[in-house]
Order: sequence, then C-alpha cells, then structure tokens
Amino acid sequence: MKKKGSLSLLALMLVFSVVLAACGNNNENASGSSSPSASAGASGSAAPSGKPINLYVENEIKNLSQWAASDDISFTVLNNVSEGLYRLDADNNPQPALAQDVAISDDKLTYTFTLRDGIQWSNGTPITSADFKYAWLGEMNPTTATNGYSFILTDYIVGGAEYAAGTGTADQVAIEAKDDKTLVVTLKQPTPFFLRLTSLVPYFPLNEAFVKSQGDQYGLAADKLIYAGPYVLQSFDIAAGAVLKKNPTYWDNSNVKTDTINLKVIKEQSTALNAYKAGQIDRVTLASSDVDANKSNPEFGTGIKFRTTYLQFNTKAEGLSNVNIRKALSLAFDSNILAATILNNGSSGASGLIPDLMSGDGTKTFRELNGKVIEANIEKAKELWAQGVQELGSAPKLTLLIADTSEVKDVATFLQSEFKNNLGIDVAIDTKTSKARNELMDNNNYQMAVTAWGADYDDAMTYMDLWTNHTPYRGNYESSEYDTLIANAKKETDDAKRTDMLLQAEKLLVDTDAVVAPIYFGGYSFLQKSNVTGLIYHPYGNPVEFKSAVAQ
Amino acid sequence: MRRYIAKRIVYLVLTLFIITTATFFLMKNLPGTPFDEEKLALLTQEQRDQIYASYGLDKPVIVQYVNYIGNIVQGDLGTSIYYTGQDVKDIIVDRIYPSALVGLQAILLGTVIGLILGVLAAYRHNSGWDYAAMIVSVLGVSIPNFVLAALLQYYIGLKWGILPVAFWESYDSSVLPSIALSVGVIAIIARFVRTEMLEVLQQDYIVTAKAKGLGQMAILSRHAVRNSLIPVITILGPIVVNLLTGSLVIENIFGIPGIGSLFVDSIKTNDYATIMGVTIFYSAFYVVVMLLVDILYSLVDPRIRLGSGRE
Repeated sequence: MKKKGSLSLLALMLVFSVVLAACGNNNENASGSSSPSASAGASGSAAPSGKPINLYVENEIKNLSQWAASDDISFTVLNNVSEGLYRLDADNNPQPALAQDVAISDDKLTYTFTLRDGIQWSNGTPITSADFKYAWLGEMNPTTATNGYSFILTDYIVGGAEYAAGTGTADQVAIEAKDDKTLVVTLKQPTPFFLRLTSLVPYFPLNEAFVKSQGDQYGLAADKLIYAGPYVLQSFDIAAGAVLKKNPTYWDNSNVKTDTINLKVIKEQSTALNAYKAGQIDRVTLASSDVDANKSNPEFGTGIKFRTTYLQFNTKAEGLSNVNIRKALSLAFDSNILAATILNNGSSGASGLIPDLMSGDGTKTFRELNGKVIEANIEKAKELWAQGVQELGSAPKLTLLIADTSEVKDVATFLQSEFKNNLGIDVAIDTKTSKARNELMDNNNYQMAVTAWGADYDDAMTYMDLWTNHTPYRGNYESSEYDTLIANAKKETDDAKRTDMLLQAEKLLVDTDAVVAPIYFGGYSFLQKSNVTGLIYHPYGNPVEFKSAVAQ
Repeated sequence: MRRYIAKRIVYLVLTLFIITTATFFLMKNLPGTPFDEEKLALLTQEQRDQIYASYGLDKPVIVQYVNYIGNIVQGDLGTSIYYTGQDVKDIIVDRIYPSALVGLQAILLGTVIGLILGVLAAYRHNSGWDYAAMIVSVLGVSIPNFVLAALLQYYIGLKWGILPVAFWESYDSSVLPSIALSVGVIAIIARFVRTEMLEVLQQDYIVTAKAKGLGQMAILSRHAVRNSLIPVITILGPIVVNLLTGSLVIENIFGIPGIGSLFVDSIKTNDYATIMGVTIFYSAFYVVVMLLVDILYSLVDPRIRLGSGRE
C-alpha cells in the first residue's frame, strides 16, 4: 500500500505532461509561430529581396477587421497589408496609392478619384470603386462599425452623419462609384487635409463579396482576410504576433524590397531591450531610464508623435470655476524641466495645445504662427492665484486625477511639487485605472485631470473641435465664441482665414479661458540596427510604413 | 469511494455556480466600459446606445446574468469585446498550452528538487547541507520570481546565449520561464519536506527498521520519504493554482502568449465575457485539482478514509 503514494503521484504527473505535450505540439504547429528563417518568399517579384526584418508591437493584435480596429497596433498591421487611395510618404505628404490621381472641383467640395489600372486583391479579384463605397458606408453604419471612427467619415462627407444617425439612407450619402475606376465624393465643407484622411485605415476599401463570405469570422485569421497592400499576412496569432510576406499582386511590387517581416508581441519593455541586444528584433523603443545609457550609441535616435499631454480643468468644479485660479495653475509649472530631466526621451515642453511640426498655413507650422500660448511665469501665477483666492473667498482644496501609467505618475508628482514650491499649495493626487479615470471624468466627478490626445490627421482641427461638445470629459466648457469660431472654420473656403480662426481658437481655449493647460508634446527614443533602413514612422495616423524597409 | 467522488462532484458544480455568480456581479461593478473611452467620447448618444445594444449590455443586469448562465450550460462562453468577435472558448484554448507546459514543468522541477533538498536537510540535520538548503528556501520565497526571471533572461539568455531570450518558438523557450517559476515551489516544498521528515525520522518504525538491519538508503526511500509526502500533496493544490495565476509576470517578461496575461488584460479592459470565461476556467481547474489531491491522499495514506468520518 505504501508503495502507491509517491509512485502514483509521479505517474499522474508524467501522464499529465505526456498528454499535454502531445496535444500541445499539435497546437503549437497549428498556431503558426514564426521563425526568422522563413520559407522561400512569394513568387512574382523581380527585385532581389533583403533579409527578413524583425519588429515588435507593444500589445496584442486585437482585431484586423477595419470596422472594429481602433488601436495603433491594429493600424500598424492593417496599414501594411492593405492600402487606401493615398499613402503618406517619408515627409508625411500624401502620395497616390490605389488612386492614380484626383480632380478637385473649384469650390473644393467634390473629389473625383481615378483608380489605377490593374489593381487587384490578393485573391485576384479586381479592386474597384465599389469596394471603397462599401467599406466607407460600413464604417459610418453603427451596426457594422464598432470602433468609434465613423466621425472621420461622417464629419466630412455629405449625408454621412444622417446615415449614421439613421435619419438618412445610404443612397443619400455623397459617395458615387461612377464606374469601376471612378469614385466621386462630395464634402460638406472644404477640407484641405482630405487626401491625408484617405490614407487612414477607416478609408481603406473592402471587398463586399469576400467580407460577406466570411461572415462573423472575417478578420479573425490570416486566411480570413484579403490584402491590397505591400504585404500579406502569412499567419497571425493575437498574443504571439504576425508574419508578413511580400504581396505578389501589389501594384508597386517592384519597390517592395523585403520579403518577410516578423512582428512579435512584446509587452515588457525590458524584454524588448534584451531581445534587441540578442539580435532578435531590429528596433526597440527605449524607456526614459534607459535613454542616458544609450545616447552615445550610434544606433540611437529620437522621434516625435503628435500627441499632447495636458491638464484638463473642470470649469464647473468647485474652486476651478474661477478663471484666475485656472490661469495661475497653468503658469505655475515649467514643463521644460519635466521634459528634459524627468521624461528625457525626446518629449518637449508644450508651448500650446497643438504640437510642434503640425501644419499651419502651408509654409509655417501652426506653432510657429501662434508662438507661445502658454509659458511658465511664476510671478504672474502667484498674482493670479492671490486674485482668484480673493474672488472665491478662500483657497480651494485641489485634487489631481490621473491614470496609473508610470509616465503619467511621474508627471503628476512633478506638477504636485511645482505647485507646492511656486504657489505654496498642497495638491492631492488621485490615481485610478484608465477606465476608472475616464468614468470619473465622464460623470463630472473631478476637478482637474491629466489626459492626452493624439492627432488623427495633420491639421489643428483634430484637436480644436473636441471642445465644442460641452461634455464633462472636456471640462464642461461652453463658449459660444469658441463654438462659433470652430463652426465657421469648418465652413471657411479661404485657407488663410480658416487658419486664422484656428489660431484664435487655441488662444481662447488655452490662454484667455484657461480650459486646458498643455504639459508636453510626446516624443520617444529608440535604437535601430544600422543595417535596417527605409522604415517610415509617422507622428500621427498610421504608425509605420514597412513598404520601403530593407535590411542589408 | 465512488459515493465520495459523486458527492464531491456535486459540490464542485455548486461551488462553480456560486463563484460564477459572485464574479459576474462584482465584475459588472467595475468602473469603466469595455470600449475605448477616448473613441467612445466622439460618438453621439444614439450611436453609443446602439453599440451597447449590439453586445446585449443595455439590458438590466439580472437579465444579462440569466442569459449568461443559460449560455454557459450550453457550452457557450460568449464573445470577447476586446478581441472583437472571437469566441472566448477559442481564445482560452489557444492560450492554455504555453501556460500549462511552463507551469507543469515548474511543478515537476520544483517538486523533485524541493524533495531532494528537504530530504537532505532533514537527513543531515544541523549540518552545512541543512543550513544551505534552508537559505535556498528563504531566498526562493523572498526573491520575487520576476526578478529572477529578468536575471535569467539577461545572463543565460542574452549574455551567454544558451537559451532563447524570449518568445514562444520552440521547446527551449519554456526552459527559462519554468526555472523562474520553479524556485518558489522548491523553496516551499523543501521546507515542508524537511519539517515532516525530521518528525518521521524520530518515529518508532524507523528505529525498528534500523534494528532489523535495513541500510540507510533503504530506510530513507522505503519508509521516510513516502511518509513525508502528505504535506507535499496538501500543498500541491495551492501551488498549482499559484503557478497558473502567478505566471502572469513571467509570461509578460518572456513574451509567452499564455493565459495569465489574458486574464489580467481582460480585467484591465473590462472585457466581461473573457473575465468570466477565464474565471470559470481557473475555478474549475482549482476545484478539480483539490478533488484529485484528496483522492491522492487516500491512496498515499491508507489511514485516511474518504467519505465516512472525514467530512
């Protein structure tokens, strides 16, 4: 009897492991995990192909159906396996992609796109203007699109908003597939950046027959998608990553130099760095703490994102309803110190809401035109604070609401100490999960919060019209002057006048009414192997282009 | 025995039911929505309502609960919101293998080495071996396994290039994670075995065996070790569960597509269906392991009778 004890224990364990190993091996092979030594590349390409490039994304690849995708990671993949009418180049300018050219009417409202000859999906079906119409209507329809991006179509295309709300029909939406190669779109108001918008994922085409044939399985596996971009997906696993192969049916095939791109999912920053040093990936984004150690490395580089982190004031909250209090807080911290010493990763102190390098009037950037709309001024801050306290009767007790990511926690600590040193006040920090923070803001349950917004396209309007919806999330800001400026800017056909209205709007929002206090413009530092070139990273919209990437 | 198992299975189902219910209602109270709030803020109220309705989130919580239980009974764990459109069952099945392999190897490795250390420590009580084993034990419990994981990754993976740094590519990828996870197991088991063995070695039957002329090795293997296994089996239950759940950080560090990270991510994103699915999976696993442990008891120690008298 006593023999049974340890023997049965061991036996049980051995059986377990054998069983798991057996079914596990099948699993592993089926899920198509990638290996750098990929099999022979796709046929049909004349140019010699470079070595495989290994990259990574920082989170799981959630969903590759463009009607459901809303995060940078999904966009990273989709942008490279599919394509729109235009594609942004290394200077972030739109270049004809699936469209050959466009004719714009004099009133700037009607765009007539002519598609290229011979473009086809990866399964051989021709790509036609009907594919664009189908995809765009689907994105505007709340029963098919769940990613919250319908605004990027309905804000601009005639009939779009009504169709989305259910008050208009699909026929009343001004998208016309005149013939297989001609797509005519009518806009509600002149939009100088419309061509840039067409490079975004929600504007990509979809083949109706294929999508319908996959039903609710569409986008869930590599063989449940068809491709129009420089690469196709050979395989993808949500948590492990994806393998991209050169697309033999892509119209610009001869300019795609790399046969295979391996995309891994690495959530842990230190793991990514170790993998980079081991040569398993070709590029890594550095954490702030690793920047100094790697600055002198020739593989070091920095980049910017059009993403502004700012302090959102709740203009109806107790204590913050007084504009002098808000202005005092806005001027009481020096964001340049924050960017240089604490963040130390390529981010820069914010001099306004709109990031540096975002376009202004075509020759000068927005920031150059408007100059410094916010700048630390401790003396003035103290004066305004005293004034505000006098008007309110007593000094308000303030709490700063933040989400629990490590970068934001550093920012909050910095603000807290600046407020203490410069204004002599104690601000409490309330840390919550992102979800909880959003809920509190939505429910008007906060005084001031640190939040951020990344640009969807290269025009100040991507920021400015956020504060016309009067929601608690945007500080309960209700200014008819501001609303009028934005509404007029949306209708204005003269570019110079339009830019001027936007410049005024920023001054009103940040300086006069002190609704938000911009803190810093996002930047990042990275290491990239010197033999890998041609990777294009955009500061907004689609994160990266693999099309011209090559590893010598 | 059979009646005992049948009774336990009934309790199992009851337990799972209670856990599911409690989790469901607690989960519904989590702040936030399953959606990306930044993007949600750009929609109109009607559009938002439509999205909620399409996921069945507009109905009262009780109705959602009843629907959910109804679906579970038919084997449908629901559809994930975060991983839009994927069946929760499929997601879980895909991600089990890596976690299970790493976890099982950690248990095997941990148990075997823990046993050896514990036996050694007790057998050579108060000698250098004893102190060494206990120091290892304390270190193993005190050092967080992710610190060890990072060290292993850096030295063995990166500097010396013996094993892969990360990712799930071949069998080799599971070695470092298993080692990192096994250290806690080694520590606990060594300690338990040592304590139990010390007591066993004092027992009369050990003296009798020596008197009968049995050699040291025979005494150890045939009598001492087997009798020290009871606490090991006891603690194996909680260890198994700890490994399943505690593997989250290890999975993140080594880039393993396992079920631990799935669980935490689903909580962070309020993905109701996945949270429920993984909770049910973990609970079911735990209760079944507990049942197996109890059965193992009765096999190992005939003095323990299941069913009558023990409950």
